[in-house]
Amino acid sequence: MGSPLRIVNGRVYDPANGVNGVVRDVCVRDGKIVDDVPPDAKRIDATGLVVMPGGVDIHCHIAGPKVNLARKVQPETHRDDVQLRTRVTRSGTGGTVPSTFATGYRYATLGYTTAMEAAVPPLGARHTLEEFHDTPVIDKGFFVLVGNNLLLYRLLQEGRLEEFRHALAWWLTVTKAYAPKLVNPGGDEMWKGQRNANITALDDKIGAFDLTPRRVIAAFIEAANALGLPHPVHIHCNNLGHTGNVETTLETMRLAEGRRAHMAHIQFHSYGAVAGKSRSNPTSRARDIAEYVNTHPNISADVGAVMFGHSTSMTADAPLAYMLYRIAGGKWVNADTENESGCGIVPFTYQDQVYTNALQWAIGLELFLLSEDPWRMVFSTDHPNGGSFMTYPRLIRLLMDSEFRKQQMAQVNQKALDHTSLRDLQGREYSLYEIAIITRAGPARLLGLTAKGHLGVGADADITLYEEDDDKEKMFAAPRYVIKDGELIVEDHEFRDDHGGRVLHVAPAYDAKIEQVIEPFFEDYYTIRFANYAVDDRYLSHHQVIPTAAPAAAATPAGAARP
Amino acid sequence: MSLALTLHTVPTVPLEAEVLSPARLAGLSAPEAAKLTVVYGNQRADLGDFFKVGKGADGELHLTGDLARVKRVGMGMAEGRIVVHGSAGMHLGTGMTGGEIVVEGDAGDWVGSEMTGGRITVKGNAGHMVGSATRGSAVGVRGGEILIFGNVGNEAGSGMRRGLIAIGGDSGDFAGVNMLAGTIVVLGRLGWRTGAGMARGSIISMHPAELLPTFAYACTYSPLFLRLCLLHLGRLGLPVARSQVEGRYQRWCGDAVELNRGEVLLLDSAPGA
Amino acid sequence: MSDNLKVVENATCTFCGCVCDDMNLTVDVDEHRITKAENACILGKAWFREHGIEQRPFALIDGHEATTEAGVEEAAQILARARFPMIYGLSDTTCEAQRVAVGLADMLGGTIDTTTSVCHGPSGIAFQGVGESTASLGELKNRADMIVFWGGNPAEAHPRLFSRYAVTPKGMYIPNGRKDRTIVLVDVRRTASTPAADIFVQVKPRSDFEVLWALRALVKGRKVDPSIERRTGVSLAVLEDLVARMKRCNYGAFLFGMGLTMNRGRHFNSAALLALATDLNQFTHWVAKPVRGHGNVTGADNVVSWQTGFPFGVNFSRGYPRFNPGEFTTVDVLARGDADAALIIASDPASNFPKPAIEHLKRIPVIVLDPKATLTSRLARVAFTTATYGINVTGTVYRMDDVALTLRPAFPSPYPSDEQVLTAIRDRVRVLLGGNRLPAGAAPIAPAVAAAS
Repeated sequence: MGSPLRIVNGRVYDPANGVNGVVRDVCVRDGKIVDDVPPDAKRIDATGLVVMPGGVDIHCHIAGPKVNLARKVQPETHRDDVQLRTRVTRSGTGGTVPSTFATGYRYATLGYTTAMEAAVPPLGARHTLEEFHDTPVIDKGFFVLVGNNLLLYRLLQEGRLEEFRHALAWWLTVTKAYAPKLVNPGGDEMWKGQRNANITALDDKIGAFDLTPRRVIAAFIEAANALGLPHPVHIHCNNLGHTGNVETTLETMRLAEGRRAHMAHIQFHSYGAVAGKSRSNPTSRARDIAEYVNTHPNISADVGAVMFGHSTSMTADAPLAYMLYRIAGGKWVNADTENESGCGIVPFTYQDQVYTNALQWAIGLELFLLSEDPWRMVFSTDHPNGGSFMTYPRLIRLLMDSEFRKQQMAQVNQKALDHTSLRDLQGREYSLYEIAIITRAGPARLLGLTAKGHLGVGADADITLYEEDDDKEKMFAAPRYVIKDGELIVEDHEFRDDHGGRVLHVAPAYDAKIEQVIEPFFEDYYTIRFANYAVDDRYLSHHQVIPTAAPAAAATPAGAARP
Repeated sequence: MSLALTLHTVPTVPLEAEVLSPARLAGLSAPEAAKLTVVYGNQRADLGDFFKVGKGADGELHLTGDLARVKRVGMGMAEGRIVVHGSAGMHLGTGMTGGEIVVEGDAGDWVGSEMTGGRITVKGNAGHMVGSATRGSAVGVRGGEILIFGNVGNEAGSGMRRGLIAIGGDSGDFAGVNMLAGTIVVLGRLGWRTGAGMARGSIISMHPAELLPTFAYACTYSPLFLRLCLLHLGRLGLPVARSQVEGRYQRWCGDAVELNRGEVLLLDSAPGA
Repeated sequence: MSDNLKVVENATCTFCGCVCDDMNLTVDVDEHRITKAENACILGKAWFREHGIEQRPFALIDGHEATTEAGVEEAAQILARARFPMIYGLSDTTCEAQRVAVGLADMLGGTIDTTTSVCHGPSGIAFQGVGESTASLGELKNRADMIVFWGGNPAEAHPRLFSRYAVTPKGMYIPNGRKDRTIVLVDVRRTASTPAADIFVQVKPRSDFEVLWALRALVKGRKVDPSIERRTGVSLAVLEDLVARMKRCNYGAFLFGMGLTMNRGRHFNSAALLALATDLNQFTHWVAKPVRGHGNVTGADNVVSWQTGFPFGVNFSRGYPRFNPGEFTTVDVLARGDADAALIIASDPASNFPKPAIEHLKRIPVIVLDPKATLTSRLARVAFTTATYGINVTGTVYRMDDVALTLRPAFPSPYPSDEQVLTAIRDRVRVLLGGNRLPAGAAPIAPAVAAAS
């Protein structure tokens, strides 16, 4: 875990501990932040540097079956964006879906040290962990897709809510997941089973099931809260990308009824329609969404901002991807996972002169600028859906520099801006303190990662040192030092060492009897054996179980139930 | 820039020598040029390890020897002229934007892939993927001219968007596959499945060919553009016959699976044509 | 047979890409033999029966017996010296071994390729061109009411594709199994699989592309000339009937084999089929899936892809991955005489490559890792005996539908695993080179990160 280290005289931004640009030392030993280190400890002179905790990405797509399909399908994007090997680090390729090694190194060179892969079907868990093994430097976890799970649907349909909760805990535990994820609940069953149909409203019937998205979502919010998970259910609402979807989004948030819920990439769910027109261009309803989130402390969201240029739409929302394919043409990947999920992938380019794209860009900015609580409206581009994580420095500049934002606004489709309130928000600029909240402290808190996102004693020594610069894009694009678990990984912008990073996961307790309910379903409807489904510990070379708050009733300890 | 390079040591593994390009050699003396870096397998080497570098004339770059294992000659070049007295390896003139390359012998695969301007002339045969898109890309050649006097392999002009590819001999399969626009002339015989997936563009051959079921016969006529095109190719030295310049051509429209705005023109061999 | 028997339940068969994970293996522990493989197909039974422990030297160097350690030293010296080392095979070993092999190729600045380049490589290229609508095999079991087999003979090559996944099994929305499905078989000849089909469409050899192209046109409502029958042997009426059924079904699936990918047209044949499946999604749900041969060839595709961005045929000469089938695929590299050393893992190219490629293998130092003696191991400078994956060693394999499984080995082997030998070679090469070999050439465009090198 490295020798003791003292970072001297840096300007520290540590919002979780209320530290706002104070010049002070930060001490590190055995991979943790400590009070003090011996005088002979190694020193880094941080005079003139900004010190922040390592970045935490709450929602991105970086590993697993769909990510690898998205990599494979775009060789043309890797060709001119390569990652050279060094004596100590591996080579790779970039584009909007980089290879695993390039992903880890590039996150690190932006000062990010933790990232959450946001959509993995349970059957893809083993594959995802294999990719995590080859994703260096950063700590990582994944959200497991449960919102279209047919066994969970059956239990819910039959009103077996306790077994539903145990089954959810079982799935989280045996797949080594971090949080439950819902994507367009009900949509996969319509897509795969009803000739490529989709859910259009919360009260639609889900295929052959006597269920509605409303009932499914409410049940998962309830169960995830009951399990005391560090991060609540992570929801990708129905109707993503559709004109007028704001009503679905607001209704979904109301379903939480005061309980915790996280809304993913909410920008994509903030679209209005021109009154009286059923088929029209979308408009911005960012104000309604921001107001709801501002006034409901149980709700959190990541923005899912859109950045112009190349992106890859990759999602468990298969009907959405097909809709994008019909718009964009070119390549389309669809991948159905038995009993669990769908998936769609479309290379996509956001263009500043296209009305809808410009509107999406503007709504992302509006949501940030209208947010009154940066701890609950946090930073994301839904990488690589709204744009690559490599665009984060530019997005930070858009938030911090209103003059720059004004210049950029002048370049985009003005009709789209007419349908937003972005022009009225010129006065709002993010401070470094607020940036530290939306990119570090906030996501860490929402994820329940108590040792991340801050620099208090006992925190993981994941630290980034930036050179202050008026050009915030430049500043955030290349930290001078990056420290991971107390190890100096990047020094003077160069890699000094390689580093593995940890897998973060939960293991909520469940009643072992639930396996007697799950196993027969496997025999009937899965094509792998129940005994071969749970992922064993050998896929976790370095890992950390993040504890749950309250064990479910009548449960055995998770360790005992694990295979 | 007037240099003459003669291969003195034949590489035993591939040699990547994109430095063999007018802009990279401009203003260099022979000893300076010999010090330029090439990639020999997985290690660096000097150009002089393989080539004797001497003074040339005419502001041209002359390369002599069997360069079959020397890749990337003239890659990305924008101006000037390269003459290869011998054969050239893969990726000859890939991505070039201007200038001219002449190869007296044969050339390897990927001649002029994704080029946007300039002219490549190969007096012998060329391999597969002449003027093509690279894997995964939808667009190949965006401009310029490629003339192959001999035969070519498969997928000539795949994804082509603009420009002219002319083949004196036969083409392999899938000439002009997924073509977006532009012109491909094959004086010899076409291989199979010419123009599969083409949206627009013209493919011309002087011999009968069986086309895909998604191409439909439209008419027989003498297109003016083709007359001009063939006269141009004749001036460049390709063996264009008068009967071809003045001939009538069957026009086949396709590909119906795509936009159906492309055409394959086949010289009508009917008597009296 | 000894009395010391044990049973390994839910073991995985790695003989073919079906990677069935419901084997119950009876193991004679003293004899190091599997005496019974319950649930295995005829091919699987033979696979399990044949893999006992053979008495072979741990390594051979120039035909002389040697220790594994001596072999590692010799292999590392050969690879560290080479300017264009080719690493090939990998489809019959674990992902853990594949991962080390890619790392070794990167460290050396070599080229890595898998048997994909000689089987479904065209499907990989097709995928890069048009994408793919696909599914895990359980979706076929649960939902597919129409399945079209194209260019393959599953009854003999993948027997349980019919019985476990696609034709006869009952599923959630296919309660009556076979009766609820329409099975179509397209091939150039009748095979043992033909009787399983409701509809057999016999196409003339090398006319698959034309048939697929005509189907695409019909799906899109375009006209197809009746001359299609003369060209392909399939009448317009048959094609129109097929298209009507395809649009009418609820969930359709194509399963295609090397009969399609390895005949004239190659990746365009695969691409035509993938595009047809995509086109059909305007009407109803359709998926397509290449039927893979080797037990972990799908794992190889996945590992090479996540580490490099490309599925096979990857070169690291310049310090970063480059992909170009034809340029960096093994048959082509060897036939042109480009490689100056080769490391072959769990594959026998000397038995199935074209002659010019084999001739070149005889000219250069070759290192082989294989549980058995092969034609390739016989011409090798260094030949390691390794344990068999799935029989003696655990690890991860990917089924043809990208589902990852963990192997349950039956009995231990005295020989090291491929992963262990490759790791030892890599560690030794690292010492010889002083870390990764520094890149030989600059990148075309250096991103901020690359500038750090």
